[in-house]
Amino acid sequence: MFKKNRTRALIMDQIKDVENTLVAFKSFLKAATVPETSIETLKALLKGVNDGEDAADASLRAMIDSLNGGAYLPSTRENIISIATSCDKIANKCESVATMIVLYRFTFPREFAEDIDKIYDVTAEQFALLQEAIDMLFSRMNELQKDTTVLDKIRSLESVIDKIELKLGDTVFGSDAELAAKMQTFGLIERICDISDIIEDIADKIQIILIARKA
Amino acid sequence: MPWIYLLLSAGLFMGWSLGTNDAANAFGTAVATRVVKYRTAIIIIAVMILLGAVLFGHESIAKLTSIATNNGVLATEETVEAAKAAGELEALRLKSALKAFIIFACAGLTVFIMSYLKFPVSANQSVIGAIIGWGICYADYSDAEILQTNLGEIAEFASTWLINPLVAAVISFVLVFLIKKFIERHLTSMRSYDIIVKVGYIAAGAFSAFSIGQNSSASVTAFYYDAGGANLLSNARLTAIIGGVAIVIGVLTFSKRVMMTVGSSIAEISQVDGFVVILASALTVLLMNKWWGLPVSTSQSVVGAVIGAGLVSGVKKVNFGVLRNIAIAWVSSPTVAGLLAFLVAIATKGYFGA
Repeated sequence: MFKKNRTRALIMDQIKDVENTLVAFKSFLKAATVPETSIETLKALLKGVNDGEDAADASLRAMIDSLNGGAYLPSTRENIISIATSCDKIANKCESVATMIVLYRFTFPREFAEDIDKIYDVTAEQFALLQEAIDMLFSRMNELQKDTTVLDKIRSLESVIDKIELKLGDTVFGSDAELAAKMQTFGLIERICDISDIIEDIADKIQIILIARKA
Repeated sequence: MPWIYLLLSAGLFMGWSLGTNDAANAFGTAVATRVVKYRTAIIIIAVMILLGAVLFGHESIAKLTSIATNNGVLATEETVEAAKAAGELEALRLKSALKAFIIFACAGLTVFIMSYLKFPVSANQSVIGAIIGWGICYADYSDAEILQTNLGEIAEFASTWLINPLVAAVISFVLVFLIKKFIERHLTSMRSYDIIVKVGYIAAGAFSAFSIGQNSSASVTAFYYDAGGANLLSNARLTAIIGGVAIVIGVLTFSKRVMMTVGSSIAEISQVDGFVVILASALTVLLMNKWWGLPVSTSQSVVGAVIGAGLVSGVKKVNFGVLRNIAIAWVSSPTVAGLLAFLVAIATKGYFGA
C-alpha cells in the first residue's frame, strides 16, 4: 500500500556498518585471547574496528539527515533516532574495549578464550536477531506486533551471556592473580558483555514502539 | 444609535471563548502530540469553521429564535408588528438586543467560572441554559401552549445529554471496530502507520471544525437576529457568519493553551483511535444538529466517542471516575447559566417586565 522509503534503507546501511564493526571486533578478540599476540598485531586489528565505527558514525548522520521533512511523525523520528544511536553505541563499545586492550597491552589468559568466543558468538546471534527485528519494524510492523518471538529470543540470549559473565568472574576472582589484574581482566569482560545489554535495550525500545502503535 | 451594536460584544465574546475551547476538540490531540503543527491546525480550523458557518450555520437560527421567543427573550411577531405600528421599533430593538446581551453575558460568565474551576464546559449548553433560566421568569406559563412547548423543549434539551454521547459512542465503536478489521492489516510499517495517522487527524480535524461552524456559529449570535428588524441583525446567513468569525478569532488568538492541555484520561486509546474519535464526534454533532435543529455540545460527543472507542478493547479500558466528573459538569453548565439568567431577569423585571 505504501512505498518503501529511504530512511529504512539508510538505517539498514547503518546496521550493516555496525555489523562490520562487530566482525572486525571478533578478529580483534580472537587475537586478544592468544597471549603471544604482539601489540603491533592488536593495533592493526584495532584499525579495522576504528574504520568500522567511523563508517557506522557516518551512516548514522546520513540517516538522521534523511529524517528531515519526511513522512514520519515527530515521535517516530525520535524513536528511529533513539534506535539508531543505540545501535551506534554497539560500535562505540567495540571500539572502546579494543582501544583499552591495546592501551593496557593486554591479552586474556588462554583458558578464557573459549568463553570469550562464546560471548562473542551469542552477541553476534543477538545482533542478527536485532537486524531482523529492525527490518520488520520498518517493513512488517504488524507481524512483529503479533509475534514478538525475535525480541524474546534477544532477551533470552542476554541471560545466557549473564551466566557466562558470572562464570568468568568466578574464575577471575578465584585465581591467584593480583587484585588489580583481576579487576582489570573482569572489567574488560564486563565491557564486552555490555554489548549484549545494549542490544537487549534496543529490543525493549522496539517493543515499546510496537505497543504505542497498536491500532 | 450606532452604539447599540456594542451589545453584540457579549455574543462575540461567547463566540471567541467557544473558539478558544472547541478548537481543542478538533485538533487538540493532533497538536499536543505534534502530529499536526499548531499553525497548520489553526489555519485548517479557521477555514473549515467559516465554511460550516457560511453553508449551514443559519439553519439553527429558526429553532434557536423560536425557543428564545417562547422564553420571553425575543419579541413575538405580534409584538414587532405592534411596535412598528406605534413607531416604537427602535425601542423594541434596543430591548431585544439588551436581552440577547444579558443571555450571552450569563452564558459567557458561566463558561468563565466553570473553566476557572477547571470543569469541562459546554458553551452551547450554557446558552440554552441561560434562555431557559430567563424563561422561568418571563415565559407566560399560564398559557398552556407555551407551558407545553417549553417543557417539551427543556425535556428535549436534557435528553441530548444522554442521546448525544450515546450516538457518538455507537458511531465511534463501529468506526474503530471497522478500522481494526479492515485498515489494521495495511499498517505494515511505521511509515504507513504515520501516514494514516497524519492524514486521519487532518481529515477528522477539518471535518470537526466544519461541524463546529455548522453547529455553533448561530448559537453565539442568533439572539441578535430578527427577520422583522426588531433586533441588531436581520440576515440569517450574515448572523451565522458573524458568529463564525467570532469563533475563528478565538481559534486564532487563544486556542494554543487549551489545545496543549487536551489529553483525556477517559479511556486508553491508540493514535489511530484518536482521530476516529474526532471523526465520530464531528459526525454526531452534524447529525444531531440536523435532526434536532439546535446546537449540541461538542464536548459531550467527544466524551461519548472516546467511550465508544475504549469499549472496542473492553469495558476495563474506560475510566468511569472521570466520566462522573464530566457528567456533573454537563448538568452544572446549563444550570449555573440558567440560574444567573434567572437572577438577572428578576433584577431587571422593572425594565423588561412590561
